[in-house]
Amino acid sequence: MNTNNKIAWTHLTSKIQQLVVAVLSVTFGISMYIFMNGFVGGINTAFDDITFSTMAHIRVYNDLPNDEPSLIPHTTNDTIQFIHNARHIKYTEGIKNAQKIIQIAKGFTQVTAVTEQINQNVFFRNGITKVSGNLSGIDVENEDKVFGISKYMLKGHIYDLEKRNDGIVLGSGLAQSICVNVGDNVTLTTADGTHKSFKVLGIFESGASATDKSKAMISIRSARQLFSKNASYASDIQINVRDYNKVEKVSTKMAKMIPYKVESWKEGNSQLESSSMLRNILAMVISISILTVAGFGIYNIMNMTVNEKMREIAILKAMGFNGKDIVHIFLMQSLCIGIIGGAVGMGLGSLIIYIVRQIPYKIASFTSLPVAFRLIDYIMAFFFGLIVTIIAGYLPARKASRIDPVEILRG
Amino acid sequence: MEKVLSVNNVVKSFHQPEDFQVLKGVDFEVEKGEFVSIVGKSGSGKSTLLYILSTMDTDYDGSITINGNNVTGVKQNKLAAFRNEHIGFVFQFHFLLPEFSVIDNVMLPALKWGKKPIDVLRERARELLRMLDVTGQEEKKASLLSGGQQQRVAIARALINDPTIIMGDEPTGNLDSKNTKNVFRIFRELSREQGQTIITVTHDNDFASNCDRVIELKDGQIVNQ
Ligand SMILES: Nc1ncnc2c1ncn2[C@@H]1O[C@H](COP(=O)(O)OP(=O)(O)O)[C@@H](O)[C@H]1O
Ligand SMILES: [Mg+2]
Repeated sequence: MNTNNKIAWTHLTSKIQQLVVAVLSVTFGISMYIFMNGFVGGINTAFDDITFSTMAHIRVYNDLPNDEPSLIPHTTNDTIQFIHNARHIKYTEGIKNAQKIIQIAKGFTQVTAVTEQINQNVFFRNGITKVSGNLSGIDVENEDKVFGISKYMLKGHIYDLEKRNDGIVLGSGLAQSICVNVGDNVTLTTADGTHKSFKVLGIFESGASATDKSKAMISIRSARQLFSKNASYASDIQINVRDYNKVEKVSTKMAKMIPYKVESWKEGNSQLESSSMLRNILAMVISISILTVAGFGIYNIMNMTVNEKMREIAILKAMGFNGKDIVHIFLMQSLCIGIIGGAVGMGLGSLIIYIVRQIPYKIASFTSLPVAFRLIDYIMAFFFGLIVTIIAGYLPARKASRIDPVEILRG
Repeated sequence: MEKVLSVNNVVKSFHQPEDFQVLKGVDFEVEKGEFVSIVGKSGSGKSTLLYILSTMDTDYDGSITINGNNVTGVKQNKLAAFRNEHIGFVFQFHFLLPEFSVIDNVMLPALKWGKKPIDVLRERARELLRMLDVTGQEEKKASLLSGGQQQRVAIARALINDPTIIMGDEPTGNLDSKNTKNVFRIFRELSREQGQTIITVTHDNDFASNCDRVIELKDGQIVNQ
């Protein structure tokens, strides 16, 4: 063993109690870092789950044209144009040939799932209670791929919609407000005044309460019948991509190929992005503060060690150890503390995550508190832990290296 | 004869608590293999001079050459390596590293130098300890030894690298007469047979009178050599 390391090791092991305290402070810091970031990561995943249970990464729909063309071409300056009671007229409604759009979307390698929907506002009625809400005609299999709806079913099975033309699945809040349960009937009234009765096959709860209070789903075939649309009609096409953070890349390309409005989830939802970022920052700040406190722990203990060992440092210098050797000896001690504390801290952090994950808590599709196990948290914890130990260890080590041996030895 | 140490007009002052010149132009030379004693009243500047000679104190005027190397104005890190190889130092108060075993204390300067394999060093350290009559204590922690034993371990440590010059600040101050005689005999042998130079501060008149030369300091000046 290198002589400096041997000295460092002797110093470390001759004061076991101090060593344990220093190691524990690092252990605490590292485990808290891992837990905090894992917890926030889990919460972000849960929120993403909720967000994307009702919203796809890209939505294609028929929008009103943004630019209003002039009805009469501009003429000379001495003519006054006067248009009375101008109106927008939507010539086409919805997407006439949804299949073609779906094919285009599937042509992108980043696209993972595509589904078509018919969304309309309707009235739900059971006896005298009448509630307005959104009816979604869905292609069950693809809908499940995009939104994972089968995860959110409280009662019944979503795939039953494919078996019965008059089947309906309701959001939990909606079912409650019109007092129905699985097996009961609901009457739908469309904007055109058509009435039709449906049988409740299931109840879902996405966790987004606005959705759960207003949404119902029927099969897209029944929806086409109900709204008397042709076989390839859809009001929306919903598309998921591999990485929802990089959705704009796909959506801008797609927009050039599709003659409808192509909208990524980020448009109008920037608050979702910033809130998850804020949570991440908060977790970072808290955990780095904890690590800094741990750093002060190391600093204190190393400082004490240096003060206690003034005479020995002077002797070492008198025997021919130079400033670098002294820095090496004391920095090595803090590094050992940091590495041992870091390793134990990772174990403790994993244990805390494991325990907290057992605590029952209902959010999105989770039944207990969501905490993520992420390799990156471990790497970062170790990295920050090491930086903190090096800084906290270097300052006392430098102080030690600057001790003037004569001053100490003169006595 | 070959000169090992030459001290030219060394002046040393302290500024705290007040300006005070401790060494007022010290001049002398020591030859290879010489056994020199420095004597003088308490406060005459013997320890101060020895720290300067050992290259640990670099804050002085004048110049010092050791073994042909000018050591005045050289950087501390270089001086550390120089000390390690060329100077063995025994402090006035036997300073050992208390957490290390006796044998590790003796070996440390040699481990730092890293010239010889560890088992050779271990054997050499045992031999030195035997010579100084500290046997059977090798693996004990240094702090467990008596004052006299610790001082002898410190002497063994000063000898481990076979330094050109061995310096001691009252190296026998804590020893009984039997051990004092033994240390004197060892120093005598080292200077005669190995050609190592010995410079020791002492209060022991007997010890001083048997040396090759006695340098007497008075109020920071050499009055007799
Ligand atoms: N760090 C210091 N600051 C101020 N004066 C000092 C210091 N060290 C020693 N002295 C003074 O220098 C003089 C010589 O001290 P020293 O060399 O230890 O004497 P000796 O070893 O001969 O007894 C003494 O008067 C002492 O008080
Ligand atoms: Mg003295």
